[in-house]
Amino acid sequence: MKTYINIIIFLFTLIFVSCEDVIDVKVSEGKERLVIEASLDWEKGTSGNEQTIKLSKSSPYFDNNTNNNVTGASVTVTDNDTSTTYIFNDENDGTYTISNFIPVIDHSYTLEVIYDGETYTGKETMMSVTDINRITQSVEGGFDDELLEVNVYYSDPADEDNFYLMRYMEEGDLFPVLEDMSDEFVNGNEIHDFWEKEDDEDINEKPFEAGDNIAISLYGISQRYYNYMRLLIEQYDSGGDPFSSNAAQIKGNCINTTNEAHYPFGYFRVTQVVKATYTFQ
Amino acid sequence: MKYILIVLSLFFSLHAVSQESFSIRGTLKDKQNGETLFGASVYLRGTTNGVVTNEYGFFSLTAAKGTYTLVVSYVGYEEITQDITLDSDKVLDLEIEELSTQLDAVVVTAEEPERISIKKPQMSVSKLNGSTIKQMPAVLGEIDVIKSIQMLPGVTNNGEGSAGFNVRGGAADQNLVLLDEAIIYNTSHFFGFFSVFNTDAIKDIKLYKGDIPAKFGGRVSSVLDVRQKDGNSKNLSLTGGIGLISSRLAAEGPMFKDKGSFLIAGRTSYAHLIMKGIEDLKEDKISFYDLNLKTNYEINKNNRVYLSGYFGRDVFDLSKIIKNNYGNASGNLRWNHVFNDRLFSNLSFIYSKYDYQIILNFIELDWIADIKNYNLKYDFGYYVNDKLKLDFGVSGISYNLNPGEVKPTSPTSPINYLKLDQKRAFEGGIYLSAEQSLTDKLSLQYGLRYSTFSRLGGQSMVNYQNNQPVVYNNELGIYEEGESIGETYYKKSEAIKTFDNFEPRFGLSYQLNTSSSIKASYTRASQYLHLLSNTSSVTPLDVWTPSGQYIKPQLSNQYAVGYFKNFKNSVYSLEVETYYKTIDNRIDYVDGSDLIGNNTIETEILNGEARAYGLEILLRKNKGNFTGWLAYTLSKSEQRTLGGSAGGPGINNGNWYNTPYDRTHDISITGIYKLSDKWSFSSNLVFQTGRPVTFPNTQYEYEGLSIAGYSNRNEDRLPAYHRLDLSATYTPKANVDRKWRGEWVFGIYNAYNRRNAASLTFGQNKVTGQNEATRLSIFGIIPSITYNFKF
Repeated sequence: MKTYINIIIFLFTLIFVSCEDVIDVKVSEGKERLVIEASLDWEKGTSGNEQTIKLSKSSPYFDNNTNNNVTGASVTVTDNDTSTTYIFNDENDGTYTISNFIPVIDHSYTLEVIYDGETYTGKETMMSVTDINRITQSVEGGFDDELLEVNVYYSDPADEDNFYLMRYMEEGDLFPVLEDMSDEFVNGNEIHDFWEKEDDEDINEKPFEAGDNIAISLYGISQRYYNYMRLLIEQYDSGGDPFSSNAAQIKGNCINTTNEAHYPFGYFRVTQVVKATYTFQ
Repeated sequence: MKYILIVLSLFFSLHAVSQESFSIRGTLKDKQNGETLFGASVYLRGTTNGVVTNEYGFFSLTAAKGTYTLVVSYVGYEEITQDITLDSDKVLDLEIEELSTQLDAVVVTAEEPERISIKKPQMSVSKLNGSTIKQMPAVLGEIDVIKSIQMLPGVTNNGEGSAGFNVRGGAADQNLVLLDEAIIYNTSHFFGFFSVFNTDAIKDIKLYKGDIPAKFGGRVSSVLDVRQKDGNSKNLSLTGGIGLISSRLAAEGPMFKDKGSFLIAGRTSYAHLIMKGIEDLKEDKISFYDLNLKTNYEINKNNRVYLSGYFGRDVFDLSKIIKNNYGNASGNLRWNHVFNDRLFSNLSFIYSKYDYQIILNFIELDWIADIKNYNLKYDFGYYVNDKLKLDFGVSGISYNLNPGEVKPTSPTSPINYLKLDQKRAFEGGIYLSAEQSLTDKLSLQYGLRYSTFSRLGGQSMVNYQNNQPVVYNNELGIYEEGESIGETYYKKSEAIKTFDNFEPRFGLSYQLNTSSSIKASYTRASQYLHLLSNTSSVTPLDVWTPSGQYIKPQLSNQYAVGYFKNFKNSVYSLEVETYYKTIDNRIDYVDGSDLIGNNTIETEILNGEARAYGLEILLRKNKGNFTGWLAYTLSKSEQRTLGGSAGGPGINNGNWYNTPYDRTHDISITGIYKLSDKWSFSSNLVFQTGRPVTFPNTQYEYEGLSIAGYSNRNEDRLPAYHRLDLSATYTPKANVDRKWRGEWVFGIYNAYNRRNAASLTFGQNKVTGQNEATRLSIFGIIPSITYNFKF
């Protein structure tokens, strides 16, 4: 909802705006923190045995060197319902992998990362996800009625609060497009989501055309992760514009039990996901 | 209440002892159009007996039996004197003539630099009246009173294109904005680019930045009191203007056989007409309009009724995607009654409403929200004697708030119908205030307002575990929604929660000599309605919420001291004020709060506090071909939100942080030069410290994206804001035979094309993947031309 209001105001401002330009700004340098990208995603219909956790470090905001991989950490995940502990293998490139993980819906999992003498933990419950009913393409829908968009339909279960993360990525693109969704206004209905690309050179975007391949992932996520991603997506898309919420440090579900002040960035998520690909006709 | 009665009876007995004196009362009007004049000085020369006319032009003076010279003076008008022999009570209706030949101009002045204002305890007031906003440069030539008051010390806003204004470091929702006494909930058109006040319909504007008279209540920072014209009671006239963005037309004239008059004023933008001609845009519409109406009827010398109305609307319609419209509507029926030579009264019944609608076609959603109120108030002015004037009255406001209703726009829409709880509240107020001259040099103004507020039932309220709607999650260091443990239903006749507050107001002035004085004031005020906005700029889509179980009323204390001086025969005046203000229970939003469509707002907010202090200097040249002023403000505005009952350190770790309205330095220079009868020139120069914002200070990779980590709240600032505007007014020689008078206003806004940052957006360049800061600047150099006319 908030996003849509931002769109209105953004569109409106565009009409009046004389210019946008990139300028040099001095920003302060924040503390270096561990970044935990622990996304245990279980694709429906697969075993989910193979999982990867990424560890890296944060860097100054305008720093160009993004190789901040963290190696030498100890990474384990424990299934709290079965007390099984899974030990992840350090691949020495910032990733930690496992090939015998057993995902179970509604089980609670605890992540433990030990790095540089400090222990980080996080806890999350595996959420299930509904299936994608169908994927279509259209021209009339979306924001622009002359450009192609892809439509994704899925049925929201009525008897519970559900939260979703949608991830779109076109083959060859540098960055994915993420969308957060809650069933707050649409509980129990078939939810319709769409993705349309604009014709905008500045952001390296070209409208879809026949033959374009896109990958679509629909994740069933926890409310806490939804809150986290909602904020993260809003800040990523519009960090600092006066009509978005006040920018603030986003805290995930991982804590540093050795030193509270050294809290990490990132999130420990355990989700079920349905994946699909679509080729524009 | 008992105390008020005791104090009242004390004053009445005071009056009883002053024998052998007589009163002069009457109404002061403009000679040309019969408009009553508010704030003019009426006094007896050589004595200390003098008053200022009230909102309806009424005055009443008392003096001992004798012969006097009565003087009437008002900025921009010819001073008149009249010899009178006071041997009985007199009724005197006076008329004065405007000096200026300009068309209805409006000038921004501080309180008139006249004898009486030096002496009067009232301080912290900025007034607009009489002549010339029309000459001040304005963006796109759109004359805008709200933008004009920002040229005075202590008043800022959140940058171009942001709605509302900020007074002495206060938030936009802390301003009580009244149009003919009706509350205006949103003061802007086009999301903040222009104000809702059509200058053709406005008689005068007064902004109380502090020292708020006891008759006003309900907001903690300021009162902007805007009054519509009554309508020309002498002859029919047309006023209008054609500008780049909008055009205005006002008709006014006498009615009811000269017993009354009317005013109808309209203003509309016309971008949508141009859009119709453009193929791609012809189904879209962006427009606003205002309609102001007023009429009055004099039943007899002692009774007069007024009816006024305002209706304004913005429409923003991108046919395929979004339809949005919003606006204010208000009406006021008033009855002025003069009980006797000393007692004036006004009874008002007022309605106001603000509503908005958004239709999002692409997700098939229709959203509406509104706030409306009925207000009945009865105010009295009692001119006890030449040393004492009393104001007292009561008011009751009934609020009805609909924070949101969501509907699907088609049968196939995935949206479910949803209506957030309708909220009801009642606000009552009773006040008594006195203006008293203790000695020749010392005058006091003191009063007490008692306010009460009840959040009324007719809805359920959620109860929370441990009575905590917000809970600090110690482990993760974040604030989260409290756990609901059921609901309590309150009947319509029941009050969910009631508050009451005593709000003392006190002011004094000590006259050092005939041209200078020092003043001091203290104001306590309470505010029961809050505008929910977790963004740095308010938007038309923010909703108001009443105080209640979980949201406490805001309470402010403001102390101010000032020095006032006129010099060089009142050609120049100097005002220096310093203030300190504290506000309790200022709500703030937990990180990541989601306010839209939220039925339990209390789970997203914490009660905090705010403080602001500053020094304001206003040096003005009031007379001559060159007039203008230099305004400088040095100030600080901060807030702090502790965890309180939710636990934890609070927002920003419980440390004080800058409010978005904090401006360390704010300098405005305005100059108006009259070259000849045909040409006059004016300019504005503005410099302001940049708005506090939060910059990122670190980055990390997540989901393949570069995500920013942020520093402490509002620790950084946008680059300083500055610009220069110029304008020239050309008035062709009027043809003596014709009534038509016109003038051309040529303007250049932001003359040296400064790219002021309205915002800085931090993000990842989609081509290179590098982080970068993007500056959004709204108005570059903008020339404009406007034609104003009067017929």
